Amino acid sequence: MAYEKPIPRQGQHTKPFWDGAKEGKLILPHCTECNRVHWYPRLICPFCHSNKLDWIEASGEGTLYTFAVQHRLAAGGWVKELPFVTAFIDLKEGDRMQTVLRGVDPNKPEDIKIGSKVKVEFEQANDDIFIPFWRVVES
Amino acid sequence: MRLPDLSYRAAMVGACESNLIGYPGGEERSIRCTSLQLHLEAIKNVSDYTGIPISDIDGVFSAGWSSELAEHLGLHPSYIDTTSVGGCSFQIHVRHALAAIASGMIDTALISHGEAGWSYRGMGGRGGGGRGEVSPAEEATAAYGIAGAPAQYAHAMVRHNHVYGTTPEDFAHISVVTRKWAMLNPRALMYSKETNPFGGEISVDDVMSARLIAWPMTLYHCCLVTDHGGAVILARPEIARTLKSKPVWVVGAGESMGHSNMVEMEDFTATSAHRSAKMAYEMAGLSPEDIEMAMIYDSFTITAGITAEMLGLAPRGRGYTLWKEGHAAPGGRLPINTNGGGLSFNHSGMYGMQLLVEAYRQMSGTAEDGVNGDAGKQTEASNCIVNGTGGTLSTTGTLILERD
Repeated sequence: MAYEKPIPRQGQHTKPFWDGAKEGKLILPHCTECNRVHWYPRLICPFCHSNKLDWIEASGEGTLYTFAVQHRLAAGGWVKELPFVTAFIDLKEGDRMQTVLRGVDPNKPEDIKIGSKVKVEFEQANDDIFIPFWRVVES
Repeated sequence: MRLPDLSYRAAMVGACESNLIGYPGGEERSIRCTSLQLHLEAIKNVSDYTGIPISDIDGVFSAGWSSELAEHLGLHPSYIDTTSVGGCSFQIHVRHALAAIASGMIDTALISHGEAGWSYRGMGGRGGGGRGEVSPAEEATAAYGIAGAPAQYAHAMVRHNHVYGTTPEDFAHISVVTRKWAMLNPRALMYSKETNPFGGEISVDDVMSARLIAWPMTLYHCCLVTDHGGAVILARPEIARTLKSKPVWVVGAGESMGHSNMVEMEDFTATSAHRSAKMAYEMAGLSPEDIEMAMIYDSFTITAGITAEMLGLAPRGRGYTLWKEGHAAPGGRLPINTNGGGLSFNHSGMYGMQLLVEAYRQMSGTAEDGVNGDAGKQTEASNCIVNGTGGTLSTTGTLILERD
């Protein structure tokens, strides 16, 4: 079945990330000078302002920083999925990623625990774009 | 009027280009530069050339790019100017930067330009407002269905609840009290059942039982969506003294930004208002205890609650108590949002002007001028702190105004 929700357009500075996603790997931008990982991808390290950046394969693990349950507002095909849980994930390697959270019940938000362990998974949207989503694996 | 003499008050100390200019990639466009890349290469180069670390830049000027550039660089500038008026924008940026530096507001101004006029020719380059490039931040967030401000702000309320043990009911008091002010303002959409079926008095139960927009925020945790027009004139003291209208003095002013995209917000329970307010307090020689009333951007109850904390009007995690304990209400010790707020008076999308109009009315003693309020809305306050929040808890401006 065709993927009907918004599909990110790949820009020209993020190829390693999308190539990795295709193989089920979370590839994150990393600064070779201060050794920190950042998200979203930059052309200059937002922490030390070096432009000597590369990409590393991340663990795909993180923790739930915060979340909300969307009941009314949604972009594109997400309208059909209301209610759904959106969230921000603190990555094991550092910095934060937004996502739609899986493995939770949007009708029982009180059961969703900040600090829960989450793992990344990828869903194929088209030939080139595999979208990272995060799933609660231990709360 | 005589223009201030700002000669020799600031100097250009470096000017560099991006690594690639012209027709990168030639006619075939085998390489395409993005505008973002052109900006950042030039910024890196001018930083290297002058020896001024990027982290020392405290003013960011560009034609429409300033918040994106500042976020990309991890900067929290205290002067943000994104004037975009065509090719002369950059000359104007120099003049604005001169004024900002001469006044002592900033030490170092970055003026940046990046425009992929060739690489993205005919594809609607950014700034041309078209489809050409996609920003990395957009790539990172586009997939997740987020639509509209409430979708994002709800994440901040959940985090505030988690960190401070607060509840959505605590924040509901902000809606309830703000509605009391709206009931003193015939221009407020929610003045009464006659002005709107949802108008008039509301209870915490009403707020909590309203339909969910983004859990835990219900409809009544969210601002209105209305029309509004407003305008303000400022004049120098010699002129202000001669007019038939009363002067209200700007005694403090500050601005700052935390991020542009919410994914870059460091602490979801804190905004840059703590920095913009610090600047305003320092300029005014005042502290939070001196403040007698406040006009606080209440796009959502969480916005008002957090901002009250950032302005130092309540301890961290306790902003909502100003409303819950009645201090912010009519007759309270610290009136807040005396027009009825974005929650119950009017919110057109960008609510900052509404804040200014009401603050002027309060500080000029005209808050019950027969147009804007029934008896009871005018306060005795002799000063007012005004804070606007833009984006997703992103950018803030703080003013402190004083009665003549």
